[in-house]
Amino acid sequence: MSEKAGKKITGAEILLESLIAQGVETIFGYPGGQIMPVYDKLYDYQDKLHHILVRHEQGAIHAAQGYARVKGKPAFVIVTSGPGATNVITGVADAMIDSTPVVVIAGQVSNAALGTDAFQETDLIGLTTPITKWAHQVRRPEDIAEAVARAAYIAGSGRPGPVVLDLTKDAQVGLAEYVEAKCSFIRSYVPVPEPSEESVEEAARMIDEARRPFVVFGQGITHSGAEAELAAFLDKGDIPAGSTLLGLSALKSDDPHYLGMVGMHGNLAPNAMTQECDLLIAVGMRFDDRVTGTVNTYAKQAKKIHIDIDASEINKNIKVDLGILGDAKEVLTRLTEKIRPRMRMGWKAASEYCRSIETEKVIDPEINPESGMIKPGEVIARIAESCDGKAIVVTDVGQNQMLAARYSRFSQGRSLLSSGGLGTMGFGLPAAIGAKTAAPDRQVCLFVGDGGLQMTIQELGTIMQEGTGVKIVLLNNNWLGNVRQWQQLFFGKRYSATRMINPDFEKIAQAYGLDIATVDDRKDLAPAIARMFADDKPFILNVHVEEEDNVFPMVPPGKSVNEIMLNSKEWFEYGK
Amino acid sequence: MENEKLFEITAYTENQVGLLSSIAGIFTRRSMNIEKLLVYPSRINGIHKFKITTRTTETLCRAAVQQIEKKVDVVKAFYEIDNERSDRERDIVIAFLEERERNNR
Ligand SMILES: Cc1ncc(C[n+]2csc(CCOP(=O)(O)OP(=O)(O)O)c2C)c(N)n1
Repeated sequence: MSEKAGKKITGAEILLESLIAQGVETIFGYPGGQIMPVYDKLYDYQDKLHHILVRHEQGAIHAAQGYARVKGKPAFVIVTSGPGATNVITGVADAMIDSTPVVVIAGQVSNAALGTDAFQETDLIGLTTPITKWAHQVRRPEDIAEAVARAAYIAGSGRPGPVVLDLTKDAQVGLAEYVEAKCSFIRSYVPVPEPSEESVEEAARMIDEARRPFVVFGQGITHSGAEAELAAFLDKGDIPAGSTLLGLSALKSDDPHYLGMVGMHGNLAPNAMTQECDLLIAVGMRFDDRVTGTVNTYAKQAKKIHIDIDASEINKNIKVDLGILGDAKEVLTRLTEKIRPRMRMGWKAASEYCRSIETEKVIDPEINPESGMIKPGEVIARIAESCDGKAIVVTDVGQNQMLAARYSRFSQGRSLLSSGGLGTMGFGLPAAIGAKTAAPDRQVCLFVGDGGLQMTIQELGTIMQEGTGVKIVLLNNNWLGNVRQWQQLFFGKRYSATRMINPDFEKIAQAYGLDIATVDDRKDLAPAIARMFADDKPFILNVHVEEEDNVFPMVPPGKSVNEIMLNSKEWFEYGK
Repeated sequence: MENEKLFEITAYTENQVGLLSSIAGIFTRRSMNIEKLLVYPSRINGIHKFKITTRTTETLCRAAVQQIEKKVDVVKAFYEIDNERSDRERDIVIAFLEERERNNR
């Protein structure tokens, strides 16, 4: 029971009490006119709530996303109305498509001014309704506690997602009694459907009958905390598995059943086996087009089972023979009990051939080149070796992202943070700040391009102020590399607006008081990495990498996932 | 190509401000035309009812209904090919709500 009970306090204070009641310790935010009453109250709560002042509201929401994904629970953002609120919208859309539990609390003009185009008024509910799980305006102080509890419950339960609370000035300054609210039930909302026994039995039968089953798993495993259950299921059925980008780290990289990442820049084996299996079992993933390639031919030969917590995903992109609605952990536990133990040596051996081709044609040249400029994949591989799978890897978007996903190694869950569905450049730096704040004892390593870093580079100021010990690895190629690669391969090398003239990153680091090492030469790479990890302080490793390096393998747009470019001349067409 | 037909979508909802635009947005996103729209209190106490007629394919209609039902404040959503409507929906909604209330205890 809070000592505030029974007394009338302001809505602003009710808000802060409600956050504390939700177990919130950290808030990411930025003040302004219509949220000033809340910031004023925050002054009295500094010992209970750690407010991290970002340099742009987009940084606040991406930091919250990083924090939420590491902690596995909703993270909170506070911003002002109008421009403060619109600045978080990219992150809200990102959180929606990547199922990240964040709650944005935005100031709003007074009740009487609503709809009058008052100073810094925007229709935030109207703007965010299509990109939130729930968007709700609060106009009275007595409704705040309930709204916060509901927001946290909705954001964090079932398939997680973003929630927006639009808090008018009246709600913040008005007086009401604080009554602690809890929410774990909304009658119209069923976050975790109960899997039907028949569907689980049917799935077990299909798996037992299959000769070449193959699992593709996504972030649903992480949300559900089903890492161990997935490994046990694969082990009993001796079933090979591939991960989506956001599924990475849900299975240990050295799990004997793990074949790597699926999709456009995925590994050869899981992509080829998608087109060879007789049963595809998809768990906690949503058949994004970066995963499926052209949907018309995707695993056409196979029967398909889709296990997901969200009914609207079943049959949305890929028609399946059996949908199982439910939480991945529960479904996998029940399935594992029911399936027969099996050995599938012959089937798994198919992956060896793919792996050897990929190693020879793609991986070795990228991570172990003998001469020439440093390759970006090489930097990632060396860092992966020195972190031994223990770091949280954060990526930005572009070549850096795909290479980090391909060459990082993971030995525990919740270790890869990347903007998957929206592909938001600028996500990486603030997300890394959020991740390090959530897990100060873990190494947090960001891989970012020179383009993406400059999209949210102002957050170096947040790092300076907070002392957040993130390790920033700048794969500096002086291009918008990913777009340049597409221009090279599909637009006749017409490099339109992709060349970047960059600032002197040494001077930028200096201005923010951050340590930096710039590396051009292969022999200087290992010592610079060692220096980066020598202490807990933030560090920028600026590596001048081969400028026109390309990410391969690549399933070009419009192709099937077994029609794969190994480099700009050679193709790998498995089973054709 | 799948044939377009007239479908009638029914959604039982909590009476929440903004739900109309949120549901309409689902149709806009897939450029589905709403031919007819009715919103009124259902015969279940405190529950509102949306009736939406749209001309589309069954695949798109099913996807839209799933997206509607996914909204936090929507209790249940159904679709019928126009003229083939049954009265079962209301019973399903009542049974669902009763079960939810039981679970909450
Ligand atoms: C906000 C945003 N704008 C544009 C894009 C399109 N885009 C995708 S990758 C890319 C280039 C990224 O370049 P850089 O950050 O230098 O990384 P690299 O690919 O070179 O590793 C661009 C422009 C995007 N994903 N996000």
